[in-house]
Amino acid sequence: MNKPKYFYRSEPFLTVYEFTSEGPKGSIKKMVQFTDTGTENIYNLAFGDYDEKTKEINDLAVTNNGDSLKVLATVASTVYAFTKKYPNVWIVATGSTNVRTRLYRMGITNNLAEIKEDFDVYAFTFEGNWEEFIVGEDYEAFLITRKDNNFTL
Amino acid sequence: MTIEELNASKVPIIVFDKKLEQFKDKVLFPEKLAKAKEILSKGGLPQRKNKITDNKTWQ
Repeated sequence: MNKPKYFYRSEPFLTVYEFTSEGPKGSIKKMVQFTDTGTENIYNLAFGDYDEKTKEINDLAVTNNGDSLKVLATVASTVYAFTKKYPNVWIVATGSTNVRTRLYRMGITNNLAEIKEDFDVYAFTFEGNWEEFIVGEDYEAFLITRKDNNFTL
Repeated sequence: MTIEELNASKVPIIVFDKKLEQFKDKVLFPEKLAKAKEILSKGGLPQRKNKITDNKTWQ
């Protein structure tokens, strides 16, 4: 997405990313990970704060560093990087809380036209079905894949 | 790459960091992974319409 985003680092397989959020609360290290779900070609996307002292991730932290859009744009950018390397994957994402899930929904909504240039976007309803993402609907999870990916189960 | 170039690019230049390899085989977000697996077990993957792909190259 053509939005302000942070530089990030990764490892050669492009499954783990690290960047630093900068804002009024200081510098906060963030980690992004694409994890194999055990279902062929489906990966889970998750991100959160990394505490270098405890070496632990906190995906419930409300950082309030004033840069949530920039953080989301950076995470979205890792999706482009990951799917460029692995074009047949599907990526599922859920929020750690309902509030966080709604934040993701807003992020998708605000950038939907641009996202849909390259990806198909689906959402999991509370009734237990996947449907094409509809603006304004409340969802439990999101799933995207490149438009040119023909892999399915 | 300048920050302006980074922002204009969908796939930025990625800096590799050997330190991050230590996380490669670790599940950093086990609860989210469990939730994703639960959803996939319930819903599988969505049906997709027949698609016509263009060979667009990302910036």
